[in-house]
Amino acid sequence: MKINRLVMAAAATFAFAAPAHADGDISCNGGPQDKWQKISKLKKQAWLEEWQILKTQVEGDCYEVYARTKEGQAIEAFFHPVTLEKLVVFRRGQEIYRAKGFKG
Amino acid sequence: MIRWPRLLLWLLLAIPAALMITDLAGGALAMDLYHPSGEMAVRLMILALLPGPLVDAFGPNRFLRGWIAVRRNLGVAAFLYGLLHLFFYVLDMQMVSAMIGELAIPGIWTGWVALITMAAPAALSFDAALRRLGRRWKRWQRLVYPAFLVALVHWLLLDWAWLPAFIHLAPVMLAWALRFTMRRRKIQRSVA
Repeated sequence: MKINRLVMAAAATFAFAAPAHADGDISCNGGPQDKWQKISKLKKQAWLEEWQILKTQVEGDCYEVYARTKEGQAIEAFFHPVTLEKLVVFRRGQEIYRAKGFKG
Repeated sequence: MIRWPRLLLWLLLAIPAALMITDLAGGALAMDLYHPSGEMAVRLMILALLPGPLVDAFGPNRFLRGWIAVRRNLGVAAFLYGLLHLFFYVLDMQMVSAMIGELAIPGIWTGWVALITMAAPAALSFDAALRRLGRRWKRWQRLVYPAFLVALVHWLLLDWAWLPAFIHLAPVMLAWALRFTMRRRKIQRSVA
């Protein structure tokens, strides 16, 4: 039946989708907030990546950037608030980048 | 003919949409309206899914009969909020090529599947379709169940947070549990 097939397709998707973390689960090991760089400094980072920033915010102990790449991809990137290193990038719930050695 | 209680219901249903559009006009990002519009769609689906099993469980009373009477409206409104959700998506993506580019991502195509699955029952929600299709009409309307489940999977695949999906699944599961336990008890009582 059509309905069964749909439900099975959904279940299969779920089983094979690359697992990721909820935004709130990312931990950047940012340390005390008074040592953090200004969030506006991420603009340069985004410019280097050729991203168009939609929104920047503090998420846990990370800086989080919502942006569009030059190809138009909607992405969500987490940066270390002190080093401003790009740690992990998500695209629609899928992890597409992770800095070497980053486990947060 | 649209009677005034129904008109009032639709005005009520339109308020969240009006607030979202106002937000957008005031400079809010389209991406920030994904959650409110999508959640409205899911919650309206739940409201459309609940009265059926509840009537089976508790028998038809005035409240549940009234709920059943507006059920179709709730389902159509759910679909319209799904369309609003899509509208915000188009605004956010800006380019058709970008939308096509992410079509293969499970979190995205599940959203499309959910919306398309809802389109059929929503399109067949007017009186003439109900008369014309007869018993088959109900079968078409049952597509709301897979649409609802796929919508929850869509949500889960994008946010990876279990709690919200579970919270939205719980009332429907509870209503179905009531449907089966109460019905069985009724059957046992009538046998005894």
